[in-house]
Amino acid sequence: MKDLFANLYNKVLSFFHQSENKDRESAKDVACNRLKLVLMQDRTNLSPAIMDRMRNELIDLLSKYLELDKELLDLNFEQEDEQMALMLSIPVIRAKEESEILALLEAEEAGVNEEEVDEDEESDEDDNSDDVQEEKEETDESEENASDTPDEEEPENDSEEEEEK
Amino acid sequence: MTGRVIVITSGKGGVGKTTTSANIGTALAKAGNKVVLIDTDIGLRNLDLLLGLENRIVYTIVDVVEERCKLKQALVKDKKNPNLSLLAAAQTRDKTSVSQEQLKDICDQLKKKYDFILVDCPAGIEQGFQNAVAGASEAIVVTTPEMSAVRDADRIIGLLEAKEEIESYKLLLNRVRPNLIESNDMMSVEDVVEILSAELIGVIPEDTGIITSTNKGEPIVNDETSLAGQAYRNVAKRIMGEDVPFLDLTQPKGFMAKIKNLFTKLKGKV
Repeated sequence: MKDLFANLYNKVLSFFHQSENKDRESAKDVACNRLKLVLMQDRTNLSPAIMDRMRNELIDLLSKYLELDKELLDLNFEQEDEQMALMLSIPVIRAKEESEILALLEAEEAGVNEEEVDEDEESDEDDNSDDVQEEKEETDESEENASDTPDEEEPENDSEEEEEK
Repeated sequence: MTGRVIVITSGKGGVGKTTTSANIGTALAKAGNKVVLIDTDIGLRNLDLLLGLENRIVYTIVDVVEERCKLKQALVKDKKNPNLSLLAAAQTRDKTSVSQEQLKDICDQLKKKYDFILVDCPAGIEQGFQNAVAGASEAIVVTTPEMSAVRDADRIIGLLEAKEEIESYKLLLNRVRPNLIESNDMMSVEDVVEILSAELIGVIPEDTGIITSTNKGEPIVNDETSLAGQAYRNVAKRIMGEDVPFLDLTQPKGFMAKIKNLFTKLKGKV
C-alpha cells in the first residue's frame, strides 16, 4: 500500500515536471541546433582571409551600381534544407543613376586597356582565388541573393537616409 | 571470388568501432561467410581482447608487411567459428609501421579467399585512418547520438566522400538510449540521420550486456537473448543484402501511459 502511494506521488511529481519542461527548449533541441551551426562552420573550409577577399571583391563589384554601407555588409553561410547557402545582407544607401554607372564603366574599360600590361603579373593570383570559390557550387547562389537583398532593403534604407537629413 | 572490404570507422574514439567490428564479423561468420577481421589500430590493439583471442596471437600485421611470416600464418582462427579469422595489430609499434600500399596489398590478397574483410580503423583522421581506408571499397561510420561523436562522423563522411575507392558508406548509430530520446533529452535516430544525411545500416541500443561480453571475450551476437546482439545480427543481414526492418527500441510502457494510450485510441474512434 505504501509503495502504491509512493508510486502515485512520483507520477504526480513527474507530471508537473513534464509540463514545466515543455516551456523550456529540450536538451535534444539545443543539441540539434548547436550541432547544425557548428557543422555549417566545419563544412565551409574557407579561411577568414579568403572570406575577406571574397567580401571585398563583392563590394567592389556591387559598388559600381549601388552606393553601399560597406561596414554593415554581412556575409555568412547558412543551412537551407539539405543545401548550404551563402547569405548576403547588403544595406543599400541608394542606387546610382544610370548615367553615373555608365560613365564609371566606360572609365573603367579605358583604364583596363591602359593598365593591361601591369595587371598581367597579378592575374595569376586572381586565378587561384577563383578556383577556391568554384569549389563551392553554392557561391553561385550568392549572386542571386545579392541581387535580391538590395531590392528588399532599398526602401527601408532610403527612408532612414531622409530622416537623417 | 572477390570478397568485400568494409572499413569500420568513426573519427571519435570510444563510440564502439571495435565492438562493432567484432560483432558484425562474428555475425557474418555465423551466417556462413568466410570473414577476416583486420585490426589496424597499431600500438593500441583491442580487437583480440573482444574476441577472446589475446593468448593465441603469434604474428601481427607488422610481421606480415616486414616479411617475418606469411599472411596465412598471421591469421588467427576464432575459438568457436572456423569461418572467422583475425589479423591482429602489433602492440609495440606505431601507425607508421604499415603504409597505405601495404594494407591495400593485404586486402587484395585476402579478397581472393574470403567473403568479407572487415577493417577496424583507429580513432582520428591521420595516417591510421588513411591506412585503414586504403584497401576498402565500403565503409560503416559508427557514431552515437552525442554532439561530439556526430560532429566527428560528419568530418569522416566528408573525407570518405573525397575518396574515389570508397563506393558507399552507411551509418551505424550505437549506444542509443530510448528512454532519453523519449524524454527529449537525447537526439533521436531521425535527428542524427537528418543532420548527417547518410543512409542508416543499424541502430544498436545501449546494453550493459556489452560490458560483460567484453569482459568474457565473447561478442554479444552469440547471446540470443540480447537486444544489442539482435541489432548487430540485423546489421550483418543488411550487409548481406537482406531487407530487415529496424528494431522497435521503445521501452515497454508504464501503467499510466497505457491508460493514456487507450484514451487517445478511444478518442480517435469517437
